[in-house]
Amino acid sequence: MEQARNYVCTECASSVPSGHKFCGACGASVPLEAQTLETRFFGALQAPGKARLIVIRGDEAMGEGLSYLLQATEHVAGREADQIPFPSDNWLSPIHANFLYRGEKLFVRDEGSLNGVYIRTRRASPLQIGDQFICGQQLFRVDATPKDSSGPEADQTYFYSSPRRPSPFRITQILEGGMDGIVCCAHEQAVQIGREDCDLNFPDDVHMSPRHARVEMSGESLTLIDENSQNGTYVRIRGERELGHGDYLFLGRNLLRVEVTA
Amino acid sequence: MIVCSRCSKENQDHYRFCLGCGAELPRHSAKPRSFAVPETQGAEPSSPKRDTNAPRARGAHAGALASAPSVEMDPTPARAVRAEPLSVDDPLPRELAPLGDETSPCSHCGAQVPVNFRFCHVCGNDLHAVSSTEASSSGAPAERVSAPAVAEPRPETKRARLVLIQPDGSEGEAFPLSGGRTLIGRSTGGVFSNDAYLSPEHAEFRFEEDQLVVKDMESLNGIYIRIEPDVPIELFDGTIFRIGQEILRFEGPLAPDPAPDGTQYMGSPHRGFLGRVSLVIGRHATGNSYPVPPQGIYLGRERGDVLFPEDGYVSGLHCRIHSEVGHVFLTDLGSSNGTFVRVSNESFVPKGTFVLMGQQLFRADY
Repeated sequence: MEQARNYVCTECASSVPSGHKFCGACGASVPLEAQTLETRFFGALQAPGKARLIVIRGDEAMGEGLSYLLQATEHVAGREADQIPFPSDNWLSPIHANFLYRGEKLFVRDEGSLNGVYIRTRRASPLQIGDQFICGQQLFRVDATPKDSSGPEADQTYFYSSPRRPSPFRITQILEGGMDGIVCCAHEQAVQIGREDCDLNFPDDVHMSPRHARVEMSGESLTLIDENSQNGTYVRIRGERELGHGDYLFLGRNLLRVEVTA
Repeated sequence: MIVCSRCSKENQDHYRFCLGCGAELPRHSAKPRSFAVPETQGAEPSSPKRDTNAPRARGAHAGALASAPSVEMDPTPARAVRAEPLSVDDPLPRELAPLGDETSPCSHCGAQVPVNFRFCHVCGNDLHAVSSTEASSSGAPAERVSAPAVAEPRPETKRARLVLIQPDGSEGEAFPLSGGRTLIGRSTGGVFSNDAYLSPEHAEFRFEEDQLVVKDMESLNGIYIRIEPDVPIELFDGTIFRIGQEILRFEGPLAPDPAPDGTQYMGSPHRGFLGRVSLVIGRHATGNSYPVPPQGIYLGRERGDVLFPEDGYVSGLHCRIHSEVGHVFLTDLGSSNGTFVRVSNESFVPKGTFVLMGQQLFRADY
């Protein structure tokens, strides 16, 4: 005694292999679910190539640990977004960012948000003047040294300034509300940021490592280097950026982790 | 870098005591250079009157401000602090004492405190309670403030003059100030004509009753008046002041920008800053800037929140910025070379006050 190895036609009891739409013996139609042997996942989270976003630190209303499965092609995040809403974080624009697939690849695109999208750097990241980055709870901007003519006024009077030291660039802290806070002009070719004994010190910032990151200039190019800080250093993206498994993002106050099923 | 002769630890140049063992280190060049203020300046006759002109502190607040508790200062950094350890009355058993003999137990909690500490790092006990009491009673600023405003005789304006103070501190030329108006600038000749930092018409002096008044003739670099030590001067948005060679600008409370569509600008935590102090490095350029937190900041060459290690004209601890009753004040802490505040339009010049114009320092005698 043994089990029939294929679908058995309900009309004539003949065996019908998978892939057939009709019974070869009697012509009866084969039900849809018997036509293919496609194996389904227990849950959609298992789908390969699909990513999800885990809220590591998040919107009070939405809670931490929440995850969003990115099953569609585009997924809009924002304060008034339907797919990935962060209704109580006023650092997010109504439409802030879009998580989208292009082929197999996942991208994040800044949808012209006020405050931008920040991605955790992997060790070193090139910077340009005007770029912004986050260490701990602090937001910074890289600025050029202002140009100021050293010549006299029309009446031949010279401006009396504090002693000046050459400085190739400066780091400006941006305070909540958008005003500039502390400004540190680079002495040599680098500015070190951390809790203590750096050029820019934030002893009260419990999310910052003692030596957190530094910005270096070599030649004409600037590099942001994370010094193996515990919480990482985040750089504001320009336009869009490809995402991979394990990437971390800041959208406003929300910290998100990207997980991609292999 | 100073290498300790006792334990070989490397110490920064301005340390007086070794970080490793507490031994006294040899001093090099930390003594502030004279900023052309004569050594005898403390004996100068200075008017006990408080002028009422901005940016002086308001009289209504002055009493409270002057008597506000302040940390005991060591205005001349070259003055040696106590080097020898306190007598050890109740030493811990040898096995409990830390290695080495460079600490002494706190008389309050018994913790082993490095001998160069003034306060116990465990309980905060003042280890020199006796000497600090003496110091605070001798320098009570309240006397200065409450001194009666004696009606002075009309000055002999013929004798009123600006005395040039030379770089070595000695007195140079004296420029008579007439009873009318005296204009000073690069175009008025004499020693002024060679100072490229003076505008052609820089300042105008005149008398109002018996008080000398200076008016800034919209000069490029302004006129700076030395403020009295320990007397708070109110700071306003845009007030410029000078310590040592550093020109600093106070920027008033940082008002948040309006946010479009309900989105707020993200940023670092705003801790209720009173304003910001920026180093002026050009007509339209500032260098380093520091927000002033609600508890205020100290400025100095060696000590404080904002340091000027390369400016030998700044005292170890020079001045402080703090807030009282919703206003922000600048106080000189007995610095050697003084704190100068730029005159906004015009100001009284009390007798004996030091005035900086261009590259030169003067004393107003009348």
